[in-house]
Amino acid sequence: MKIAVVGKGGSGKTTTSAVLARTLARQGHSVVALDCDSNPNLGISLGVGDDETERLVSMRQSLDEGDEAHAPGWDEVLDRFGSEAPDGVRLAVVSRIDNPEPGCL
Amino acid sequence: MDFSGQVVVADLEAGVGTLTRLGDAGVDKVLIIVEPTPKSVEVGSRAAAIVADKSLGEVVVVASRVQSDDDLAMIRKAFPDHQVVPVPDDPAIVAADRDGQAPLDTAPDAPAVQALTALAGDLLATA
Amino acid sequence: MRVAFVGKGGAGKSAISGTFARLLARRGHPVLAIDSDPLPGMAYSLGLPHDDAPLPDEAIEDRPDDEEGPRYRLRAGLSPVEAVERYAATAPDGVRFLQFGKVRTDPRALFRSQFAFRQIIRELPVDRWDLVGDLPGGTRQPFTGWGGYADTFLIVVEPMAKSLLSARRLARLASSGDRPVRVVAVANKVTEAVDAEHISRRTGLEVVAAVPLDPVFAAAERAGKAPLDAAPDSAGVQAVSSLVDRLEKEHPRMKVTP
Repeated sequence: MKIAVVGKGGSGKTTTSAVLARTLARQGHSVVALDCDSNPNLGISLGVGDDETERLVSMRQSLDEGDEAHAPGWDEVLDRFGSEAPDGVRLAVVSRIDNPEPGCL
Repeated sequence: MDFSGQVVVADLEAGVGTLTRLGDAGVDKVLIIVEPTPKSVEVGSRAAAIVADKSLGEVVVVASRVQSDDDLAMIRKAFPDHQVVPVPDDPAIVAADRDGQAPLDTAPDAPAVQALTALAGDLLATA
Repeated sequence: MRVAFVGKGGAGKSAISGTFARLLARRGHPVLAIDSDPLPGMAYSLGLPHDDAPLPDEAIEDRPDDEEGPRYRLRAGLSPVEAVERYAATAPDGVRFLQFGKVRTDPRALFRSQFAFRQIIRELPVDRWDLVGDLPGGTRQPFTGWGGYADTFLIVVEPMAKSLLSARRLARLASSGDRPVRVVAVANKVTEAVDAEHISRRTGLEVVAAVPLDPVFAAAERAGKAPLDAAPDSAGVQAVSSLVDRLEKEHPRMKVTP
Protein backbone atom coordinates (compact mmCIF):
# COMPACT_ATOMS: atom_id res chain seq x y z
CA MET A 1 0.00 0.00 0.00
CA LYS A 2 1.50 3.28 -1.09
CA ILE A 3 -0.02 6.68 -0.33
CA ALA A 4 1.36 9.88 -1.86
CA VAL A 5 0.46 13.28 -0.40
CA VAL A 6 0.62 16.40 -2.60
CA GLY A 7 -0.56 20.02 -2.61
CA LYS A 8 0.51 23.64 -2.56
CA GLY A 9 3.16 24.64 -0.03
CA GLY A 10 1.65 25.41 3.35
CA SER A 11 -1.59 23.56 2.62
CA GLY A 12 -1.15 20.98 5.35
CA LYS A 13 0.56 18.15 3.43
CA THR A 14 3.14 17.42 6.05
CA THR A 15 0.71 17.51 8.97
CA THR A 16 -1.62 15.16 7.07
CA SER A 17 1.22 12.76 6.17
CA ALA A 18 2.45 12.65 9.76
CA VAL A 19 -0.93 12.04 11.39
CA LEU A 20 -1.78 9.35 8.83
CA ALA A 21 1.55 7.57 9.22
CA ARG A 22 1.40 7.42 13.00
CA THR A 23 -2.28 6.52 13.11
CA LEU A 24 -1.75 3.61 10.71
CA ALA A 25 1.22 2.46 12.80
CA ARG A 26 -0.97 2.55 15.93
CA GLN A 27 -3.47 0.37 14.11
CA GLY A 28 -0.76 -2.27 13.81
CA HIS A 29 0.59 -1.64 10.33
CA SER A 30 4.27 -1.52 9.54
CA VAL A 31 4.65 2.05 8.29
CA VAL A 32 7.36 3.79 6.33
CA ALA A 33 7.19 7.61 6.14
CA LEU A 34 9.12 9.07 3.21
CA ASP A 35 9.98 12.73 3.15
CA CYS A 36 10.25 13.39 -0.60
CA ASP A 37 10.13 17.16 -0.21
CA SER A 38 13.39 18.87 -1.12
CA ASN A 39 12.65 21.07 1.90
CA PRO A 40 12.05 18.20 4.32
CA ASN A 41 10.01 18.92 7.45
CA LEU A 42 8.12 15.67 7.97
CA GLY A 43 10.24 14.82 11.02
CA ILE A 44 8.85 17.87 12.81
CA SER A 45 5.22 16.83 12.39
CA LEU A 46 6.00 13.22 13.26
CA GLY A 47 7.43 14.46 16.54
CA VAL A 48 11.15 13.68 16.23
CA GLY A 49 12.14 17.35 16.71
CA ASP A 50 14.31 19.93 14.94
CA ASP A 51 17.67 18.39 15.66
CA GLU A 52 16.85 14.88 14.49
CA THR A 53 15.12 16.27 11.39
CA GLU A 54 18.24 18.27 10.52
CA ARG A 55 20.48 15.30 11.27
CA LEU A 56 18.58 13.22 8.69
CA VAL A 57 18.88 16.05 6.18
CA SER A 58 22.62 16.39 6.61
CA MET A 59 23.13 12.63 6.38
CA ARG A 60 21.13 12.65 3.18
CA GLN A 61 23.17 15.60 1.86
CA SER A 62 26.43 13.74 2.40
CA LEU A 63 25.20 10.47 0.92
CA ASP A 64 25.86 11.26 -2.74
CA GLU A 65 27.91 14.42 -2.43
CA GLY A 66 29.51 14.97 -5.80
CA ASP A 67 27.84 11.95 -7.35
CA GLU A 68 24.63 13.38 -8.76
CA ALA A 69 24.22 10.65 -11.33
CA HIS A 70 23.82 7.90 -8.76
CA ALA A 71 21.13 9.15 -6.46
CA PRO A 72 20.07 6.23 -4.26
CA GLY A 73 16.45 5.06 -4.23
CA TRP A 74 14.21 5.61 -1.25
CA ASP A 75 14.59 2.01 -0.12
CA GLU A 76 18.37 2.32 0.05
CA VAL A 77 18.15 5.61 1.95
CA LEU A 78 15.68 4.05 4.37
CA ASP A 79 17.87 1.01 4.84
CA ARG A 80 21.02 3.03 5.57
CA PHE A 81 19.65 6.12 7.31
CA GLY A 82 16.12 5.35 8.38
CA SER A 83 15.17 6.89 11.67
CA GLU A 84 12.77 5.63 14.27
CA ALA A 85 9.81 7.98 14.80
CA PRO A 86 7.09 7.64 17.48
CA ASP A 87 4.66 4.69 17.22
CA GLY A 88 7.32 2.71 15.35
CA VAL A 89 7.09 4.65 12.09
CA ARG A 90 10.32 4.47 10.08
CA LEU A 91 11.28 7.82 8.56
CA ALA A 92 13.66 8.58 5.70
CA VAL A 93 14.62 11.79 3.91
CA VAL A 94 14.70 10.86 0.24
CA SER A 95 15.97 13.90 -1.60
CA ARG A 96 18.85 16.33 -1.26
CA ILE A 97 17.69 19.85 -0.42
CA ASP A 98 19.22 21.22 -3.62
CA ASN A 99 18.45 18.33 -5.97
CA PRO A 100 17.28 19.93 -9.22
CA GLU A 101 14.91 17.08 -10.09
CA PRO A 102 13.94 15.20 -6.96
CA GLY A 103 12.18 11.91 -7.40
CA CYS A 104 10.38 9.86 -4.80
CA LEU A 105 8.84 6.44 -5.19
CA MET B 1 14.56 -5.03 0.78
CA ASP B 2 11.03 -6.26 0.62
CA PHE B 3 8.36 -3.69 1.35
CA SER B 4 5.33 -5.80 0.65
CA GLY B 5 2.87 -5.68 3.50
CA GLN B 6 4.15 -2.29 4.55
CA VAL B 7 2.30 0.96 4.32
CA VAL B 8 4.36 3.70 2.67
CA VAL B 9 3.27 7.31 3.25
CA ALA B 10 5.20 9.71 1.00
CA ASP B 11 5.12 13.46 1.65
CA LEU B 12 5.91 14.91 -1.78
CA GLU B 13 7.40 18.27 -2.61
CA ALA B 14 5.07 21.25 -2.66
CA GLY B 15 3.51 21.68 -6.08
CA VAL B 16 3.44 19.05 -8.79
CA GLY B 17 7.12 18.49 -9.67
CA THR B 18 7.63 15.23 -7.79
CA LEU B 19 4.30 13.99 -9.07
CA THR B 20 5.46 14.35 -12.67
CA ARG B 21 8.51 12.26 -11.80
CA LEU B 22 6.68 9.54 -9.88
CA GLY B 23 7.46 6.08 -11.25
CA ASP B 24 5.13 4.58 -13.85
CA ALA B 25 3.94 2.01 -11.34
CA GLY B 26 2.18 4.81 -9.47
CA VAL B 27 0.77 4.43 -6.00
CA ASP B 28 -2.49 3.18 -4.50
CA LYS B 29 -3.79 6.53 -3.29
CA VAL B 30 -2.89 10.12 -4.04
CA LEU B 31 -4.08 12.52 -1.35
CA ILE B 32 -4.40 16.01 -2.74
CA ILE B 33 -4.43 18.59 0.05
CA VAL B 34 -6.41 21.69 -0.89
CA GLU B 35 -7.03 24.87 1.09
CA PRO B 36 -10.02 27.06 0.23
CA THR B 37 -7.95 29.59 -1.73
CA PRO B 38 -7.84 29.99 -5.52
CA LYS B 39 -4.09 29.28 -5.61
CA SER B 40 -4.41 26.09 -3.63
CA VAL B 41 -7.39 24.89 -5.67
CA GLU B 42 -5.44 25.55 -8.84
CA VAL B 43 -2.42 23.54 -7.68
CA GLY B 44 -4.74 20.75 -6.59
CA SER B 45 -6.53 20.73 -9.94
CA ARG B 46 -3.23 20.44 -11.78
CA ALA B 47 -2.18 17.61 -9.51
CA ALA B 48 -5.47 15.80 -10.19
CA ALA B 49 -5.00 16.27 -13.95
CA ILE B 50 -1.50 14.77 -13.80
CA VAL B 51 -2.68 11.82 -11.72
CA ALA B 52 -5.48 11.14 -14.23
CA ASP B 53 -3.20 11.67 -17.22
CA LYS B 54 -0.57 9.21 -15.97
CA SER B 55 -2.99 6.88 -14.13
CA LEU B 56 -0.95 7.25 -10.96
CA GLY B 57 -3.56 6.15 -8.46
CA GLU B 58 -6.90 6.85 -6.84
CA VAL B 59 -7.35 10.49 -5.85
CA VAL B 60 -8.73 11.57 -2.49
CA VAL B 61 -9.06 15.32 -1.99
CA VAL B 62 -8.46 16.53 1.55
CA ALA B 63 -10.12 19.91 2.10
CA SER B 64 -7.77 21.53 4.58
CA ARG B 65 -8.34 24.48 6.97
CA VAL B 66 -12.05 24.57 6.25
CA GLN B 67 -13.72 27.40 8.17
CA SER B 68 -17.21 27.40 6.70
CA ASP B 69 -19.70 25.59 4.48
CA ASP B 70 -18.73 28.01 1.72
CA ASP B 71 -15.09 26.92 1.99
CA LEU B 72 -16.05 23.29 1.60
CA ALA B 73 -18.49 24.04 -1.22
CA MET B 74 -15.76 25.89 -3.13
CA ILE B 75 -13.50 22.85 -2.97
CA ARG B 76 -16.25 20.33 -3.77
CA LYS B 77 -17.17 22.40 -6.80
CA ALA B 78 -13.59 22.31 -8.06
CA PHE B 79 -13.37 18.52 -7.64
CA PRO B 80 -16.81 17.21 -8.61
CA ASP B 81 -15.50 13.77 -9.57
CA HIS B 82 -13.55 13.06 -6.42
CA GLN B 83 -14.15 12.11 -2.83
CA VAL B 84 -13.60 15.26 -0.73
CA VAL B 85 -12.73 14.82 2.95
CA PRO B 86 -13.08 17.96 5.08
CA VAL B 87 -10.53 18.79 7.77
CA PRO B 88 -11.51 21.84 9.85
CA ASP B 89 -9.27 24.84 10.48
CA ASP B 90 -7.93 24.08 13.92
CA PRO B 91 -5.91 26.27 16.29
CA ALA B 92 -4.46 23.11 17.84
CA ILE B 93 -2.60 22.39 14.57
CA VAL B 94 -1.29 25.96 14.46
CA ALA B 95 -0.08 25.65 18.06
CA ALA B 96 1.68 22.35 17.35
CA ASP B 97 3.30 23.83 14.22
CA ARG B 98 4.48 26.82 16.15
CA ASP B 99 6.22 24.65 18.70
CA GLY B 100 7.48 22.06 16.22
CA GLN B 101 5.56 19.22 17.80
CA ALA B 102 3.41 16.39 16.49
CA PRO B 103 -0.29 17.30 16.63
CA LEU B 104 -0.99 13.68 17.58
CA ASP B 105 1.04 14.22 20.76
CA THR B 106 -0.10 17.73 21.69
CA ALA B 107 -3.78 17.58 20.69
CA PRO B 108 -4.98 14.06 19.90
CA ASP B 109 -8.62 15.04 20.43
CA ALA B 110 -8.55 18.23 18.33
CA PRO B 111 -11.14 18.19 15.52
CA ALA B 112 -8.56 18.32 12.70
CA VAL B 113 -6.54 15.47 14.20
CA GLN B 114 -9.73 13.43 14.63
CA ALA B 115 -10.66 14.03 10.99
CA LEU B 116 -7.24 12.81 9.86
CA THR B 117 -7.22 9.71 12.06
CA ALA B 118 -10.68 8.83 10.69
CA LEU B 119 -9.30 9.27 7.17
CA ALA B 120 -6.45 6.86 7.97
CA GLY B 121 -8.95 4.12 8.79
CA ASP B 122 -10.99 4.79 5.65
CA LEU B 123 -7.95 4.71 3.38
CA LEU B 124 -6.98 1.22 4.35
CA ALA B 125 -10.52 -0.04 4.52
CA THR B 126 -11.09 0.85 0.87
CA ALA B 127 -7.68 -0.25 -0.43
CA MET C 1 17.08 47.51 -6.68
CA ARG C 2 17.08 43.80 -7.42
CA VAL C 3 15.39 41.77 -4.72
CA ALA C 4 13.95 38.25 -4.58
CA PHE C 5 11.58 36.76 -2.03
CA VAL C 6 12.15 33.17 -0.92
CA GLY C 7 10.84 30.94 1.87
CA LYS C 8 8.88 27.83 2.71
CA GLY C 9 5.82 27.21 0.58
CA GLY C 10 2.86 29.06 2.05
CA ALA C 11 5.02 31.50 4.04
CA GLY C 12 3.50 34.46 2.19
CA LYS C 13 6.10 35.21 -0.50
CA SER C 14 3.59 36.06 -3.21
CA ALA C 15 1.38 38.31 -1.10
CA ILE C 16 4.37 40.25 0.20
CA SER C 17 6.33 40.44 -3.07
CA GLY C 18 3.27 41.47 -5.10
CA THR C 19 2.41 44.20 -2.62
CA PHE C 20 6.06 45.29 -2.44
CA ALA C 21 6.30 45.61 -6.24
CA ARG C 22 3.22 47.83 -6.49
CA LEU C 23 4.17 50.06 -3.56
CA LEU C 24 7.63 50.52 -5.08
CA ALA C 25 6.05 51.46 -8.40
CA ARG C 26 3.79 54.00 -6.66
CA ARG C 27 6.93 55.78 -5.51
CA GLY C 28 8.06 56.29 -9.05
CA HIS C 29 10.32 53.31 -9.61
CA PRO C 30 10.08 51.45 -12.88
CA VAL C 31 9.32 47.95 -11.60
CA LEU C 32 9.52 44.60 -13.30
CA ALA C 33 7.93 41.85 -11.20
CA ILE C 34 9.47 38.48 -11.94
CA ASP C 35 7.48 35.34 -11.20
CA SER C 36 9.74 32.27 -11.41
CA ASP C 37 7.31 29.99 -9.65
CA PRO C 38 5.65 27.42 -11.93
CA LEU C 39 2.82 27.39 -9.38
CA PRO C 40 0.19 30.10 -9.14
CA GLY C 41 0.92 33.05 -6.95
CA MET C 42 2.30 36.45 -7.73
CA ALA C 43 -0.22 37.43 -10.40
CA TYR C 44 -3.10 37.22 -7.90
CA SER C 45 -1.20 39.30 -5.38
CA LEU C 46 -0.45 41.98 -7.98
CA GLY C 47 -4.11 42.16 -8.90
CA LEU C 48 -3.86 40.69 -12.39
CA PRO C 49 -6.93 38.84 -13.61
CA HIS C 50 -4.96 36.01 -15.27
CA ASP C 51 -2.32 33.85 -13.71
CA ASP C 52 -0.98 32.14 -16.79
CA ALA C 53 1.01 34.40 -19.14
CA PRO C 54 3.85 32.60 -20.92
CA LEU C 55 5.94 34.43 -23.49
CA PRO C 56 4.28 33.83 -26.86
CA ASP C 57 5.82 31.60 -29.51
CA GLU C 58 6.40 34.53 -31.84
CA ALA C 59 8.96 35.96 -29.40
CA ILE C 60 11.08 32.81 -29.45
CA GLU C 61 13.12 30.90 -32.02
CA ASP C 62 15.05 27.63 -32.13
CA ARG C 63 18.80 27.93 -32.02
CA PRO C 64 20.29 26.90 -35.38
CA ASP C 65 22.12 23.57 -35.21
CA ASP C 66 25.45 25.13 -36.13
CA GLU C 67 25.44 27.60 -33.24
CA GLU C 68 26.37 27.08 -29.61
CA GLY C 69 23.99 27.97 -26.81
CA PRO C 70 20.62 27.20 -25.30
CA ARG C 71 18.04 25.31 -27.33
CA TYR C 72 15.66 28.27 -27.65
CA ARG C 73 16.25 32.01 -27.56
CA LEU C 74 14.58 35.33 -28.16
CA ARG C 75 14.01 35.74 -31.86
CA ALA C 76 16.67 37.64 -33.78
CA GLY C 77 16.27 41.39 -33.49
CA LEU C 78 14.18 41.28 -30.31
CA SER C 79 16.15 42.70 -27.38
CA PRO C 80 15.34 41.71 -23.78
CA VAL C 81 14.08 45.24 -23.10
CA GLU C 82 11.81 45.14 -26.15
CA ALA C 83 10.59 41.69 -25.16
CA VAL C 84 9.50 43.02 -21.76
CA GLU C 85 7.94 46.14 -23.22
CA ARG C 86 6.01 44.16 -25.77
CA TYR C 87 5.08 40.94 -23.98
CA ALA C 88 5.19 41.42 -20.21
CA ALA C 89 1.74 41.96 -18.72
CA THR C 90 0.98 45.34 -17.17
CA ALA C 91 -0.31 45.11 -13.62
CA PRO C 92 -1.92 47.90 -11.59
CA ASP C 93 0.34 50.86 -10.70
CA GLY C 94 2.27 50.26 -13.91
CA VAL C 95 4.19 47.23 -12.66
CA ARG C 96 5.34 45.08 -15.57
CA PHE C 97 4.94 41.37 -14.91
CA LEU C 98 7.13 38.70 -16.44
CA GLN C 99 6.61 34.96 -16.09
CA PHE C 100 7.11 31.86 -18.21
CA GLY C 101 3.68 30.36 -17.72
CA LYS C 102 2.33 27.79 -15.33
CA VAL C 103 2.89 24.06 -15.30
CA ARG C 104 -0.12 22.09 -16.49
CA THR C 105 0.26 18.38 -17.01
CA ASP C 106 3.47 18.42 -19.05
CA PRO C 107 6.32 20.70 -17.89
CA ARG C 108 7.95 20.43 -21.32
CA ALA C 109 5.22 22.60 -22.80
CA LEU C 110 6.86 25.55 -21.04
CA PHE C 111 10.44 24.97 -22.22
CA ARG C 112 10.44 27.56 -24.99
CA SER C 113 8.94 30.27 -22.83
CA GLN C 114 11.25 29.32 -19.97
CA PHE C 115 14.44 29.64 -22.04
CA ALA C 116 13.38 33.07 -23.29
CA PHE C 117 12.38 34.14 -19.77
CA ARG C 118 15.82 33.21 -18.44
CA GLN C 119 17.56 34.96 -21.29
CA ILE C 120 15.61 38.17 -20.69
CA ILE C 121 16.48 38.21 -16.99
CA ARG C 122 20.14 37.41 -17.66
CA GLU C 123 20.58 40.10 -20.31
CA LEU C 124 18.42 42.97 -19.03
CA PRO C 125 20.46 46.13 -18.47
CA VAL C 126 20.72 46.81 -14.73
CA ASP C 127 19.40 50.37 -14.92
CA ARG C 128 16.16 49.84 -16.80
CA TRP C 129 13.87 48.31 -14.18
CA ASP C 130 14.01 47.58 -10.50
CA LEU C 131 13.46 43.84 -10.21
CA VAL C 132 11.16 42.30 -7.60
CA GLY C 133 11.08 38.53 -7.77
CA ASP C 134 8.88 35.79 -6.34
CA LEU C 135 10.91 32.58 -6.32
CA PRO C 136 9.53 29.06 -5.92
CA GLY C 137 8.88 27.87 -2.37
CA GLY C 138 11.36 25.65 -0.62
CA THR C 139 15.08 25.15 -0.91
CA ARG C 140 15.55 23.55 -4.28
CA GLN C 141 15.40 26.31 -6.89
CA PRO C 142 16.31 29.76 -5.48
CA PHE C 143 20.05 29.25 -5.53
CA THR C 144 20.46 27.05 -8.57
CA GLY C 145 20.23 29.81 -11.14
CA TRP C 146 16.63 30.90 -10.60
CA GLY C 147 17.53 33.81 -8.34
CA GLY C 148 20.72 34.79 -10.15
CA TYR C 149 19.48 38.34 -10.82
CA ALA C 150 19.00 39.28 -7.18
CA ASP C 151 21.51 41.12 -5.00
CA THR C 152 19.24 40.90 -1.95
CA PHE C 153 17.30 37.83 -0.86
CA LEU C 154 14.42 38.35 1.50
CA ILE C 155 13.54 35.15 3.31
CA VAL C 156 9.90 35.23 4.37
CA VAL C 157 9.65 33.44 7.73
CA GLU C 158 6.66 32.61 9.88
CA PRO C 159 7.23 32.10 13.60
CA MET C 160 6.60 28.38 13.14
CA ALA C 161 9.04 25.48 13.51
CA LYS C 162 8.99 24.28 9.87
CA SER C 163 9.22 27.80 8.49
CA LEU C 164 12.21 28.58 10.73
CA LEU C 165 13.95 25.36 9.76
CA SER C 166 13.37 26.15 6.07
CA ALA C 167 14.77 29.67 6.57
CA ARG C 168 17.91 28.30 8.16
CA ARG C 169 18.44 25.99 5.21
CA LEU C 170 17.87 28.84 2.75
CA ALA C 171 20.32 31.10 4.59
CA ARG C 172 22.90 28.30 4.47
CA LEU C 173 22.39 27.70 0.75
CA ALA C 174 22.52 31.44 -0.02
CA SER C 175 25.83 31.89 1.72
CA SER C 176 27.38 28.83 0.09
CA GLY C 177 26.87 30.23 -3.41
CA ASP C 178 29.66 31.52 -5.60
CA ARG C 179 28.71 35.20 -5.41
CA PRO C 180 28.13 37.49 -2.47
CA VAL C 181 24.48 38.26 -1.80
CA ARG C 182 22.70 39.99 1.03
CA VAL C 183 20.30 37.74 2.92
CA VAL C 184 17.78 39.11 5.39
CA ALA C 185 14.51 37.94 6.90
CA VAL C 186 10.98 39.27 6.64
CA ALA C 187 8.94 38.02 9.59
CA ASN C 188 5.40 37.19 8.48
CA LYS C 189 2.21 36.38 10.37
CA VAL C 190 3.69 37.56 13.64
CA THR C 191 1.30 37.63 16.58
CA GLU C 192 3.55 38.52 19.49
CA ALA C 193 6.11 41.25 19.98
CA VAL C 194 8.83 38.69 20.61
CA ASP C 195 8.24 36.83 17.32
CA ALA C 196 10.64 38.92 15.23
CA GLU C 197 13.36 38.62 17.81
CA HIS C 198 12.77 34.87 18.02
CA ILE C 199 13.07 34.61 14.23
CA SER C 200 16.28 36.61 14.24
CA ARG C 201 17.78 34.46 16.97
CA ARG C 202 16.78 31.16 15.38
CA THR C 203 17.87 32.05 11.85
CA GLY C 204 20.84 34.29 12.59
CA LEU C 205 19.37 36.78 10.11
CA GLU C 206 18.59 40.44 10.41
CA VAL C 207 14.80 40.90 10.41
CA VAL C 208 14.07 43.90 8.17
CA ALA C 209 10.28 43.86 8.49
CA ALA C 210 7.64 42.28 10.70
CA VAL C 211 4.31 41.72 8.97
CA PRO C 212 1.55 41.01 11.49
CA LEU C 213 -0.91 38.16 11.20
CA ASP C 214 -3.74 40.09 9.64
CA PRO C 215 -7.19 38.58 9.08
CA VAL C 216 -7.86 41.08 6.30
CA PHE C 217 -4.70 39.96 4.49
CA ALA C 218 -5.78 36.33 4.90
CA ALA C 219 -9.27 37.11 3.62
CA ALA C 220 -7.77 38.71 0.48
CA GLU C 221 -5.78 35.52 -0.07
CA ARG C 222 -8.92 33.39 0.22
CA ALA C 223 -10.68 35.63 -2.27
CA GLY C 224 -7.74 35.56 -4.69
CA LYS C 225 -7.40 39.35 -4.53
CA ALA C 226 -4.40 41.63 -4.24
CA PRO C 227 -3.97 42.69 -0.59
CA LEU C 228 -3.35 46.23 -1.79
CA ASP C 229 -6.77 46.35 -3.46
CA ALA C 230 -8.75 44.33 -0.90
CA ALA C 231 -7.17 45.80 2.22
CA PRO C 232 -5.15 48.94 1.39
CA ASP C 233 -5.19 50.22 4.96
CA SER C 234 -4.44 46.93 6.67
CA ALA C 235 -1.58 46.49 9.10
CA GLY C 236 -0.07 43.98 6.67
CA VAL C 237 0.11 46.48 3.82
CA GLN C 238 1.55 49.09 6.18
CA ALA C 239 4.31 46.72 7.23
CA VAL C 240 5.23 46.03 3.60
CA SER C 241 5.22 49.78 2.98
CA SER C 242 7.76 50.22 5.78
CA LEU C 243 9.88 47.52 4.15
CA VAL C 244 9.79 49.46 0.87
CA ASP C 245 10.89 52.60 2.77
CA ARG C 246 13.78 50.78 4.28
CA LEU C 247 15.08 49.16 1.10
CA GLU C 248 14.54 52.34 -0.87
CA LYS C 249 16.88 54.16 1.51
CA GLU C 250 19.49 51.48 0.98
CA HIS C 251 19.11 51.64 -2.81
CA PRO C 252 18.97 55.39 -3.38
CA ARG C 253 19.61 55.23 -7.10
CA MET C 254 16.18 55.91 -8.45
CA LYS C 255 14.77 56.50 -11.85
CA VAL C 256 11.48 58.12 -12.63
CA THR C 257 9.32 56.31 -15.11
CA PRO C 258 9.24 58.28 -18.35
